[in-house]
Parts: sequence; structure tokens; C-alpha cells
Amino acid sequence: MTEVLLLGRRAVREVVRYPEATIPTLFIPLFFLAVNIGQVSPTFPDTTPFLKGQGYAAFQLPVSLMFAVATATTGLALVTEIDSGYFDKLLVAPIRRTSLILGRLGADLVRGVAASTVVVLAGLAFGVHIESGVLGAIVLILLAALFGVAYAGFGILVALTTRNVQATNTSFLLFFPLLFLTPNFVPFDRLSPAMETLARINPVSYVIVGLRSLIIDGWVVDKILVCIGVILAMGLVLIGLSLRAIKGYDG
Amino acid sequence: MENSRGAPAIEAHELSRTFKGGIEAVRAVDLNIGQGEIFGFLGPNGAGKSTTVRMLCTLLPPSSGSASVAGHDVVRDGDAVRRDIGVALQEIGLDPVQTGRELLELQCGLYGISGSAGRERTEELLELVGLTDAADRRTKTYSGGMKRRLDLASALVHRPRVLFLDEPTTGLDPASRLTVWEEVRRINADGTTIFLTTQYLEEADELCERLAIIDHGGLVAEGTPEDLKAEIGSDVVTVQLRGADPERTREVIGELPGLDRVIPEENELALFVEDGASSIAEIVRRLDAAGVAVGAISVSRPSLDDVFLEATGRRLEGAEGENADVAAEEDEAAARAVAP
Repeated sequence: MTEVLLLGRRAVREVVRYPEATIPTLFIPLFFLAVNIGQVSPTFPDTTPFLKGQGYAAFQLPVSLMFAVATATTGLALVTEIDSGYFDKLLVAPIRRTSLILGRLGADLVRGVAASTVVVLAGLAFGVHIESGVLGAIVLILLAALFGVAYAGFGILVALTTRNVQATNTSFLLFFPLLFLTPNFVPFDRLSPAMETLARINPVSYVIVGLRSLIIDGWVVDKILVCIGVILAMGLVLIGLSLRAIKGYDG
Repeated sequence: MENSRGAPAIEAHELSRTFKGGIEAVRAVDLNIGQGEIFGFLGPNGAGKSTTVRMLCTLLPPSSGSASVAGHDVVRDGDAVRRDIGVALQEIGLDPVQTGRELLELQCGLYGISGSAGRERTEELLELVGLTDAADRRTKTYSGGMKRRLDLASALVHRPRVLFLDEPTTGLDPASRLTVWEEVRRINADGTTIFLTTQYLEEADELCERLAIIDHGGLVAEGTPEDLKAEIGSDVVTVQLRGADPERTREVIGELPGLDRVIPEENELALFVEDGASSIAEIVRRLDAAGVAVGAISVSRPSLDDVFLEATGRRLEGAEGENADVAAEEDEAAARAVAP
């Protein structure tokens, strides 16, 4: 456990000392939030039934949260470390290899909480009211950050298997279909049948729906539980695969 | 070859590694290195030195054969091996985000040296490698020599029984190289076994009690530098060809008295003879008589380069000067980067 904390502290230090790696990941979600609200708000005024009296910013906020936390930053940091040779240095230390990943994921959680907080505060500035209250806002931030941790497993997996900076960087592009084949602009029942089918089989949809329910509906337990379940399942699969990859990693 | 110090610190039996595509990086290497030895592993780039080190450090599993380090099998008991070894690999493994002090404190923590003990050990090592003044600067601002010294310090935090140094002076300027040599001797004086790979003959000659020469993945010679040179037993007369035809030159020189063998190289002939001084006169006379014009002719006692030539059919020298130039450029660039 000590080694995970030590490596986590180092990874947090990396986040703090390289703001240029984090700031762009915050700029994009805030940009999307502002542009989407600006362009789509007139189409969906606050009298729109699925907005339940709120502005369109409330509907878009979860999408921006997902953008803010799902990054390739950790995978990139890892593959850079592999490139520089420092990763080998850590591999020959008498520690569990898995702690190299768990330490980085700990830093992801910290970064995710910070990024989600900024996005939620931006949402509040756009007039969003979080129906589930302060506790709901905290849960919203934590769930978004945990989604980021689960998704980081993918970048780590790509980094460990390809050991290639370019491949790890472009792997992030796979998140776009996952994010946009969801009820990101309108609810499931307003999508075309084909899009609805795709959105309903996309697990990321249920994370968005769960986060959105905390903002618009209040405490809807089943939606929140499904959201938690999807995050856990994604984490188990993606982090599990990356832990397996590092155990079999040949230096 | 058995070591003369009893139980081996490093032992390998037919250690081999084949990469995808059937590339045999290391072929059936046998090693027996005694405790407290400085053992040199000499070879050109791509000979298999680093792959051997990576297998001995548990970074890379062997394809076949076996090895043990500090009494632990590298495959079955990797954790125990890692506890007893320190490693400074060819690629300097430093985290550019951390300061020198932070990096060493983290390294101490990973080896279970925490709190004030970790801080004390860090100070001690910074002092040892002369980096106390630069300790709070991020490592990305360090010069090549400083990085190499910090990397060495990070391999020593837990006072390892066996230290692997993979080309520790490649890329360093001559002054930094001497500093590393001093460190290596000092570490060894405390009883640490050192496995040092190098492509520098002078380094192997200067530091190593015994050495092995590796070429194309296999060992081609092993022994003390003195024994290896003595095995050649002859003087080496080098005839620079300067455009002369090698076959014709060789034919004209013919069967000299005391000539052991002739090894043709790219622009010269190396003649291993019993008495170099008297052979030179005869060589000059024969070449003059045949009208064959050559460059300088010199005689020398056998060097490790001659041992390498004898074992592999070519010289190892050449990369050294090139690397030193690159090193000097790297160090200059680093110095400019940190200049106020």
C-alpha cells in the first residue's frame, strides 16, 4: 500500500507540475458546454418537458463532465515513462508491478475530482441548478471522477501493449463515438430508432443518464445504481486488463 | 570460467534470448562471477550486452537457459533478485518532473527506507555523487553527467549486493567518465559485486578484474585483461595500407620469421609476430623490394583491442570517439539549458 501512495503522490506531482497537460483537457469540455448551450438553447427552452424547468446547460453538463475526465493523459504519461527508461527503473524495484498502475489511477482520481469540480462550477455559472443538492453535487463529481479512473485503464492498456506515444495519443479518439452514440443532445425517446438502438447498447449512455438524473431529477436511485454499475464494470474490465498487461510486461 | 572467490554472485548457464522474428540476441551465455568482483562485459553495439543485463535484472525472461543473481533464480525468484540488486541501465532512467532529491527519496521509499532514514540516505547519496547543490532542481535541467551520477545514486539507495551498470559512461565527456570510474571503485571497495557492460576497451582494462567479450550474442573470450592479452603472446605490427592492395601486401610480406597470424582489416593489416621490432625492418625491406607503397607501420604490445580483433576478426575501436563527441555536445546543450 505504501508503494501505491508513494507512486500516487509522484503522479499527482506530475499533474501539478505539468498544467499544460491538464488545461487543454479542461478547455475542450468548457468550450463544448458554452457552444452547445449557445447553439441549442433556443431549440430547447426551459419549457421543454425533458428539461423539467431548467435551461439546456443542465442537460449538457454531464457530457462536459465526461469530456473533462475521460482523457489519455495517464496513458500518455506512462508511455512517455516507458520511452524515457524510468519505467524500467521502477520495474526493477522490489514492488508489486500493479502498484505502478494503481498509483497512477490514484492521481487520476485526484485530477478527475479537480476537473469535475471546475466543470460543475462552470455549469452553476451557466445557471444550472443541481436538483439533488450539495450532496448530489458531490456524488456527481465523484462519479464523474471514477468514470475517468475506469476509462484511464484503456489508455494504460494501449500504452503497455503498443509502447507507442502516437498510438496512445490517438486511442483517445475512440472515446468520441462512445460519447456521441448516447442521448447526449436529447433523451433516448427523441433519438431516431437506429440511433436509439445504438445508444441503448452503449454503456456510456447510462453513465450520462445517471449523472444527468442527479442534476435534473434529484435522487433517482435506479438510474444512479445503473450508472455506478456501469462505471464499476468498465473499471473491472479496463483496469483488470491493464493490471494483467503489466504483470506480463517484458522490459 | 570459474571465479576465484567461491560462491558466485552471478551465475548463468546457457542463457539465451530470442526475439520475435527469430533474432537471437543472446546465445548460450555462461557466466560465473564471484562476490566482490568487478566483471566487465565488453562488446560493440548490438552484441547482446543489454539483453543479458535485462535478463539478469529480471526485466526480460530468458528464452532458454538459467541464471541466478545473489543466489536467487532470476525466473523463479525475481522478487528476491530485485531486493538484492541495483541497476543503472544504458538509457538513463530519470523522471524529468521530479527534483534529484525527490527522485532519491521516492527510490528509498520503494525499497522500504522511509521517513528520516530515507531522507538521511538521500542526503548521503547526493553528497556521494556531488549533487547536493543541484538536489532541488528538476532532473530535466541536469547535464548528461549529472543525470548519470543521479541514476547511479538511485541504484545504490538500498546498498545492493550486486550492481548492474549498463554502459555507465556512454555519452559522457572524459571528465565525467573518470568521476564514474571513481564511484565504481568506491562502491566495489564496500564489497558490492559489479557487472559492468561497456564498449570502451580502456574502461574494461582500467576497472575490471575479469571480463568477457560478447559478439553477435555469444561469448568469444573470457578472462582477466592480463591473461587475455598474454594469450595472444605476440607483438602486433600494424601496417596501414593507404590504398595498397591487401592481398598483394600480404603476399609480399609472406612468411616472416616468428609470424603467428595476419588479420586483414578495412585499411590495415594486423600481424601478430614474436618480435615486433626486428620484424618491422624485414617488412619494410620486403615491401620496398616489391615496390609496394604503404602508410605507417607501427608495433605495439597486445591490447584488449587486439584481443577483440583476435576473437572477432575486427576492431572495437571507432565508436568511442564518435560517442565522446555526441556526449560532449549533449553536455554542452544541457549546460546551455540550465544557464541563467
